[in-house]
Amino acid sequence: MIVFDHVSKVYPNGTVGLKDINLSIQDGEFVAIIGRSGAGKSTLLRSVNRMHDITEGTLTVEGVNVSTLKGKELRRFRRGIGMVFQSFNLVSRTTVIRNVLAARVPEMPFWRVLLGAFRKEDKITALESLDKVGILDKAYIRADQLSGGQQQRVALARTLAQNPKIILADEPVAALDPVTAKQVMEDFVRINKEMGISILLNIHHVELAIEYADRIIGIHAGQIVYDGPSKEVNQDVLDAIYKEAVPQGKQT
Amino acid sequence: MEKTIAAAYENAPKTWVYKLLLVFGVAAMLIWSSSTIVINDTTGSGLSVAKNILSGIFHPDTKLLFNFTNSGVLYLLLETLCIAFLGTIVGAVISVPLSFISASNLMPRPIALVGRLAIAAIRTVPAFIYGLMFIRVTGPGPFAGLLTMSLCSIGMVSKMFIESIEDLDKRILESLDAAGCTTFQKIRYGILPQLFPDFMSTLIYRFDMNLRDATVLGLVGAGGIGAPLIFAMSSYRWNEVGSILLGLIVLVMIIEWISAKIRTKLTRG
Amino acid sequence: MSFYDRIFKPRRHTLSNGKVVEERFTRLPLIMLIILVCTAISVRITGFSFSVLLSGGQRFFDILFDMFPPNTSYLPKIWTPLLDTIKMSLLGSFIGAVLSIPFAILAASNIVTNRALVFVVRLFLSLVRTLPTLVCALIATYIFGLGTMAGTCAIAVFTFAYVGKQLFEIIETVDMGPFEAMEALGATRLQAFIASVFPQVLPSYLSVSLFCLEGNVRYASILGYVGAGGLGLIMNEKIGWREYSSVGMILIVLFVTVIAIEGLSHAVRKRLT
Repeated sequence: MIVFDHVSKVYPNGTVGLKDINLSIQDGEFVAIIGRSGAGKSTLLRSVNRMHDITEGTLTVEGVNVSTLKGKELRRFRRGIGMVFQSFNLVSRTTVIRNVLAARVPEMPFWRVLLGAFRKEDKITALESLDKVGILDKAYIRADQLSGGQQQRVALARTLAQNPKIILADEPVAALDPVTAKQVMEDFVRINKEMGISILLNIHHVELAIEYADRIIGIHAGQIVYDGPSKEVNQDVLDAIYKEAVPQGKQT
Repeated sequence: MEKTIAAAYENAPKTWVYKLLLVFGVAAMLIWSSSTIVINDTTGSGLSVAKNILSGIFHPDTKLLFNFTNSGVLYLLLETLCIAFLGTIVGAVISVPLSFISASNLMPRPIALVGRLAIAAIRTVPAFIYGLMFIRVTGPGPFAGLLTMSLCSIGMVSKMFIESIEDLDKRILESLDAAGCTTFQKIRYGILPQLFPDFMSTLIYRFDMNLRDATVLGLVGAGGIGAPLIFAMSSYRWNEVGSILLGLIVLVMIIEWISAKIRTKLTRG
Repeated sequence: MSFYDRIFKPRRHTLSNGKVVEERFTRLPLIMLIILVCTAISVRITGFSFSVLLSGGQRFFDILFDMFPPNTSYLPKIWTPLLDTIKMSLLGSFIGAVLSIPFAILAASNIVTNRALVFVVRLFLSLVRTLPTLVCALIATYIFGLGTMAGTCAIAVFTFAYVGKQLFEIIETVDMGPFEAMEALGATRLQAFIASVFPQVLPSYLSVSLFCLEGNVRYASILGYVGAGGLGLIMNEKIGWREYSSVGMILIVLFVTVIAIEGLSHAVRKRLT
């Protein structure tokens, strides 16, 4: 469960990232955040695992006040939340399974990390995660030899190997072609339905968001302008989300 | 499903054999070469020497450092600088034809190979041997050092020149051909503009290296700052050693800074 | 508009459609002038003279011709110093390359956020780099006494500075995406570095270290001149005794060794990338 309570974010240079966000996401939901570039989608998503700090309000994730976390507690907290990126963020020079095993690194003793000596349980977990996204046969191939869609699946397998309760996805299909994008979205749906993991993702393609997500959150200039089931999104709602941003000074 | 995963686990490539061999190989090599670790400190003064050098650098002989006569550090540094500079230029003049001969995209293979072997042979002879050979020609002094520096530059400079030549973009020549240019015009407007920045960059880098290497020439009496350094060291005048090293370090860092500036300008245009 | 442009005014061209284009005066004369002046000064100071070169030039080849035919009977005595040279470069390169890792990490501005620390480490690396290898070996002979230890030490110092500089530049060009992903999944910065940056820089690091090793074999052969062991030692000795045919033999052995090591390392480096 993720609860935003009057959350705001102002960047050090004065730019407003988020403005008075009130939001609650239940366990097992599939939520898509849509909006123009720079509307604050990424800021909203990244504040959940505190890759970005919020400046006002409280953000509670799984009963934990995120802003109070630091150091070791923050890292332990992050282990429960998976994250998938637009550019996959894989180490392209190593094998697929090594990339997935990276998810086990935070729990390993230092010498094992240094030598890359993973235990059998970790390897099995990694292989199972790869199996869940359907690319078990690619385990020992170098990551840069896979297609974009397969690489995003490796990234997905990496987050699954963390055993997360929530997966955050920052534009996960923006770098993929339309067909592959659909396949990856279907993976997300499957993970959401079969494993009960909450999924929160940013997305540019409105059609994909409406087709696959259960709930849509529309953001405009750092504020929520729509929050409701994906079936009820109509042209008026989209107009509200995608209208020209009003210049900062003129906003009331 | 359990089975497929177990199978995949078993199918993992057995890289550990390879890794183990690698580790053993490296370890064996290190153990073999560890015989070089012999402390031959007969006088037992190793540490105090180190301390003396350090204190010498912090308390340099300022009289020597700011002395404007022929035996002062400043003049010796200037001499070293001149040896390195002219050495680079003479080396470049010799390297240009040599590298065109050795470029495999311009010359037939056997000729290029002979050229490369010649370059490798020139590189093999250590600087001090060249120094001794040139001293017979010119007598001791900076002139011998300059000639030595030129020969020593050839190896690396030609190697880099050859790489630049082999990386030439030939499509430009094609377009010049299409525009009806003569061979000379093709070289002047198609090849030289491509090579010039690379060559300059190589030469400036080499100048930087030559400055460091030129300090060594003094060892054989071929000018520069090396000789006074050795005299100072062998007679344990650590303050003099300090002032010479200090001057050298400052000079090398200034030149390195300038050469890095010019080279980034050359590559970015 | 720079100072130079103010003296040499840019040329103005008016196109047929009335647009005006300014062409800056070429820098070539300035560059040529600087090079010429530097050359003239250098010629004076170094005492460069063609007539000396022409009249005495053939004497350069005296020693060269004396080296041939090389004295093959001297060959058996070369092996030990040759192996010493190789050992010195192997061990020195290894020690230097390993020592350079922590310094290179601390000098990489994308990993270390403390600007002052980055600056200090970089300054240290370039300070070490200014020290010519032979001077370093010379100092080492005073500290460790004559012998291979001084040579190994000098090579380690040189390798340390060279690989350190190259490595931090490699680390700075690394893809930081995986690092971000590691931080997002709860790894410490150190864990994230090992898991995401290490695998990316490892091949280039090994390649740079091997390249350095190639050059070090050459350097190691000179170090003996100041008493730091290896081939340089016997070369110096034989030159002193004017046994040039033995020097020729040493040079041939060195040539073959250098070519062999370069070929080997070149082959390995090709596989790495």
